[in-house]
Amino acid sequence: MQYESAPEYWYVRQSRADPLERVERLASESAVVVFSLSTCCMCHAVKRLFCGMGVHPTVYELDEDPRGRDMERALARLVGAAGPPPLPVVFIGGKLVGAMDMVMASHINGTLVPLLKEAGALWL
Amino acid sequence: MFTMMQGEDVESWMANHRVGVTGFPDSAPLNQLLVYGIQDSNPSATDIFDQQEVACFDELEESLLQEVSGLRSDGDRQSFFSSKPSRLDILPSPWPMRFEKIQRGNSQSAGSTDSCLAKTIGPKLESEPLVSRYTSSEQSTDQQQHKVMANNASMAGEATNHQPRHQSKRSIADSDTRKDGKLLDAKTFRRLAQNREAAKKSRLRKKAYVQQLESSRVRLQQLELDLQRARSQGISFGGCDAVKGISSGASTFDMEHARWLDENNKHLSDLRAGLQAHLLERNLGLIVDRCILHYDKLFGLKAVAAKADVFHLLTGMWSSPVERRFMWIGGFRPSELLQIIMPHMDPLREHQLMAICNLQQSSQQAEEALSQGLEQLHQSLAEMVATGFIGEGSNVGNYMGNMAMALDKLENVESFVLQADRMRQETLHQMRRILTIRQAARFFLTIGEYYSCLRALSSLWASRPQESFINNTVSELQDIHQLQQHQLSSF
Repeated sequence: MQYESAPEYWYVRQSRADPLERVERLASESAVVVFSLSTCCMCHAVKRLFCGMGVHPTVYELDEDPRGRDMERALARLVGAAGPPPLPVVFIGGKLVGAMDMVMASHINGTLVPLLKEAGALWL
Repeated sequence: MFTMMQGEDVESWMANHRVGVTGFPDSAPLNQLLVYGIQDSNPSATDIFDQQEVACFDELEESLLQEVSGLRSDGDRQSFFSSKPSRLDILPSPWPMRFEKIQRGNSQSAGSTDSCLAKTIGPKLESEPLVSRYTSSEQSTDQQQHKVMANNASMAGEATNHQPRHQSKRSIADSDTRKDGKLLDAKTFRRLAQNREAAKKSRLRKKAYVQQLESSRVRLQQLELDLQRARSQGISFGGCDAVKGISSGASTFDMEHARWLDENNKHLSDLRAGLQAHLLERNLGLIVDRCILHYDKLFGLKAVAAKADVFHLLTGMWSSPVERRFMWIGGFRPSELLQIIMPHMDPLREHQLMAICNLQQSSQQAEEALSQGLEQLHQSLAEMVATGFIGEGSNVGNYMGNMAMALDKLENVESFVLQADRMRQETLHQMRRILTIRQAARFFLTIGEYYSCLRALSSLWASRPQESFINNTVSELQDIHQLQQHQLSSF
């Protein structure tokens, strides 16, 4: 898995960018994108889930990002949560999957693997 | 004897006639009953009133509902009541149309025997003996008991107006139901067949009920043992948990869980009966859906309990000792359950086998992920607490800060339990999607019986006497073996 932080030279250009736009842009750059917190144990669980499946997600640790707070709020709105954002939030193929419970549910009901294959993150 | 004029106000009558109760012999044929209930305003009487049960005889009530006329007071047998009629629990009509009599004989009243419970409407009843006995004691005014008043006027004229169910049954029996086939017409034949069906159904129901009773009895024994153990453990540990006792969220969940188990047994017997009776797919499907909804209810209960007392859920004290052994984050491990149940699920089509295989694999991966996440939680929690008081020692501020962080961390435990439960719920739903209705019925039945066996094993284990352990265990294991064979053969 790759840990990314948005390159600095983008910072000035994007400083007025809407955090939501930023989130969506980052999400569409890789097949599997996970927005997480470095201290969060549920985020650790989702990372281990993908590793266990042989998927290498791109992880953005929002607590290490200067604009992490805004992005967290944007993510909370996307996911539809009132209050603190339920990290981790997962995007596959640029599309929002959701928080941990959506990821687990889709894995159990068999829709996660086809989604990963479609996004090119998983080969049989 | 009492007479009451039509239209006379009951209260005034009551004031005028204060007499004692005379009892009825049990065997007296009562063609008609009029029962008055008097509710005393005395608080102790009201308490008694509340405590006493009302038994409704459905047949009587239905038949009584058909009666319309007023009361004729020319009964042969009448009893009287005396008490302080400060409040009459009857409608303010000229003649009471509906009375409720609630009484239970108890040791208080001298010489009273058993209860007499009836709910009647109107005076003109033609019903079979429904109310059996009355208290025959003289009720003194001190005793705040309820009295029975029965008017036993014969109502021959009303006979045709009113058909109790058992009378109609008798009429069927009287009619031409000769089974030699000569006098059977289509209608009678159909009726006979329906009777047979009804009899068969009631036999099945009885069997299911008996099974449910037995499982409840086993569970009750196990609960009592658990309670004993919990008490003794509480005393021996004497830690802060024991001092505070079990939290209210925990005890609520224990109660709800027990109730859930009882209802689950009902669903299991429904499933069993449905499979044996070879119901239509549609009807069996309804039973299966009810079963799944019931499991959803359990996960709802657990979600509430996780918010209230997550550590109680994690310890598993709400389930039996053997079940606890297999517990994973507050419940069953989905991949393990699939592994256990699958061998009993043949025959399966190939696409079903593949789907179940995938399900097992995804469950394993998800379980692994959650376990590792929880492991990391434990580690960071331990570090926080340790650095809080070991490193800085006398630095109270740091200590409190670390404690606050640890508290935040602990909140995550709840989310892990919730995720694990969601995983379990989704696994059950996915199995329902993969399997046919019949297979799903067998699946849920097997799960239920597997856990019943685990619970039975727990109670057997708890109740084994140490000396004659081997002898008893052998015989009990034989019993379990027979039970299992019987149950497996019924598939």
